[in-house]
Amino acid sequence: MGMSERIKTARYPKLEHFSEPNVITTTADFVFSWARSHSVFPFTYGLACCAIEMLTSGFARYDIARYGMEVFRPTPRQCDLMIVAGTVNEKMAPVLKRLYDQMSEPKWVISMGACATSGGPFYDGYNVVNGVDKIVPVDVYIPGCPPRPEALFQGLLELQGKIQQHRFVPEKPAAFVPAPPEGAAPAAAEEA
Amino acid sequence: MGLVVGSNPLSMDAVAALLVERFGADLEDVRIQEPDTVVARCAGERLKDVAARLKADADAGYETLNWIAGVDRRTSFEAVYHVYSWKTNTYLELHVELPRARPEVDSVTGVWPAADWHEREAWDMVGIVFSGHPDLRRILLKDDFVGHPLRKDYVDLAENHPHV
Amino acid sequence: MYDHFETPEPDEAVKLALRRIEEATARGEGSDVDGLAFNEVVVNMGPQHPSTHGVLRLVVTLDGELVKDVIPVIGYLHRSKEKLAERRTYFQYIPIVDRTEYVASINCEWAYVMTVEKLAGMQVTRRAEFIRVITGELMRIASHLVAVGTFTADLSPLGTAMVFYMFREREIILDLMEELTGARMMFNYFRFGGVRYDLPDGWVERCRDFVKMFPAKLKEYEALVDDNAIFLQRTQGKGVITQQDVVDYGITGPNARASGVALDLRRSRPYSVYPELDFEVVTEQHGDVFDRYRVRMDEMRESLKIIEQCLDMLPDGPVQLGSLRAPYVITPPPGSAYVGQENPRGEYGTYIESDGSRYPYRLKFRDPCFCNLQLFPKLLSGNKIADAVAISGSIDLVLGGIDR
Repeated sequence: MGMSERIKTARYPKLEHFSEPNVITTTADFVFSWARSHSVFPFTYGLACCAIEMLTSGFARYDIARYGMEVFRPTPRQCDLMIVAGTVNEKMAPVLKRLYDQMSEPKWVISMGACATSGGPFYDGYNVVNGVDKIVPVDVYIPGCPPRPEALFQGLLELQGKIQQHRFVPEKPAAFVPAPPEGAAPAAAEEA
Repeated sequence: MGLVVGSNPLSMDAVAALLVERFGADLEDVRIQEPDTVVARCAGERLKDVAARLKADADAGYETLNWIAGVDRRTSFEAVYHVYSWKTNTYLELHVELPRARPEVDSVTGVWPAADWHEREAWDMVGIVFSGHPDLRRILLKDDFVGHPLRKDYVDLAENHPHV
Repeated sequence: MYDHFETPEPDEAVKLALRRIEEATARGEGSDVDGLAFNEVVVNMGPQHPSTHGVLRLVVTLDGELVKDVIPVIGYLHRSKEKLAERRTYFQYIPIVDRTEYVASINCEWAYVMTVEKLAGMQVTRRAEFIRVITGELMRIASHLVAVGTFTADLSPLGTAMVFYMFREREIILDLMEELTGARMMFNYFRFGGVRYDLPDGWVERCRDFVKMFPAKLKEYEALVDDNAIFLQRTQGKGVITQQDVVDYGITGPNARASGVALDLRRSRPYSVYPELDFEVVTEQHGDVFDRYRVRMDEMRESLKIIEQCLDMLPDGPVQLGSLRAPYVITPPPGSAYVGQENPRGEYGTYIESDGSRYPYRLKFRDPCFCNLQLFPKLLSGNKIADAVAISGSIDLVLGGIDR
């Protein structure tokens, strides 16, 4: 048989055949996770003071390129990771939501600093959204005001760990069995 | 040569005396605040005229507007104008009291172009209306914000917080 | 959910831009290309944009590459600081003032602390005054490094190496400040009547080492760009701020000094120990982008001179008023005060009104970048969009101060 015929008639496993995690997809999991987590393209969403620390972490002393993340793209369509660095207020919130929607899957969000996590020192302002997780889902929270570049790196490493949890055939959670109501339990025990 | 700082340096007493002499009718309660500010009050109706004359004054022309603040004094409003004189290198702080029900005063954008954004901010934050302003709309808050936050009786409204 | 094919409703600023185009067409000012009466496009730059230095939104009316009109829209970082002042004691508010002009936060604290000291009639210890000047000038150098670095990074997207070298030196300054205050950016260091911590052992020597090594680095930066023909062509003659603009719009700081106006608040309205120090007010003549860059570079040299003099003149003594610690709760007598201070961007000041209680009655910031930004429509119109980016980078905006 020629090569193309061998490919057409070969029988090889497909993802649909697997209903449970097994050893065959582990290499695929590993390769995709390794590629995604070590070449994250962050989105320059620096709003306030934390943006300066994010900028500093990209430059000489704290080099973000050692984690493969030096490619800060200004357009959300080319990014995986949105680092919300700074206070989000009511005027900025729709813009943030729109930019998040413009990113393509898979995407992650890091909320950097106290303001993005929960409003920070401005929590009782009339114009401040108390935490960016009221607008977009957040994967990693980095506390600090502003967090040091090393803290940002710890957050990025946590995110790498989270990205590496991706599985092509995920474990299905056990079926949910509700606890029997109080009165019925003794009756069931008696029956058994 | 151009713009020079302090080409006609006068002592603070001399500056205060000059203001009293030339603007005595319109500027009340002229007093000196060390080290280089003269504080005075002015009536709202006279503001535009006084501003134009202050700017055009030959010995102490107050040519630059530094900032405008809107203050809520509970029973009235006040607009504070802080202007700088290059010739004497001194400042003048003008307090203009406005009635609580209708805080309206003439805009001074014709005299000092810098007043444009400062007046918009005072309108945005405190709600003082500057009549004659070319484009009086909100500057710092979103366009559909309800209320003027720096008023003492401002209550946080749910409409201003769609993302709670 | 964002519908990719839906045209969003134009908001106030865009409606204003469209109205202005209609009015200009009605007046017959359209550009006449291919029989079209008007060929203008309204483009939104920001609030998220790599070269707007923060969340500034510019609604730009473009005719091809030529900028016809710019409407700046601000407020995307408005954090209601002036209202927060009415709910925090004077002491609790010091960290919040830090976060106004976050690139050079020591100078912001300085203006606020000076105003409260004037209101309350407090003196400052002499040693603390010298430490304030040293830290203020160190952060002035750090701020100019960020300003010039990001400006050159805007001219070509991170293609210039200058910003990497500048941030490397900025790290050394931040190391000194971290040793002294405990923080890299938001120092919370000044107190009413002095500063919080005294200089640690060996800090003066390390500071002197920095002062000795920095001039060579400045020469290194200038060697990278000063003779670059493309840099000169993009910056000379562009974005000229005239002296009339300086008077009309209240432009202060390096932007005014680059136009030949020798206005420096450290000389014209001296505060702290500046009368005893010997330094020059750096001015240039043309007021274009290149001159603003040169003023900032030369100001860094003047700051080094000031720091060296202060290190030599540093007296002994306490760094805080009172026996052990600066007062936590102060209640200044009723009154008002305004103190302006020479921030790296211009005159930064706070106007505080006190009613005798623990909380300020009204606090108003006079921000230099707010006043500088008013000049944008006039400054950017008539230039190409690439020049607009260069000019807005040279004005050195920090949105934290503009929006407060």
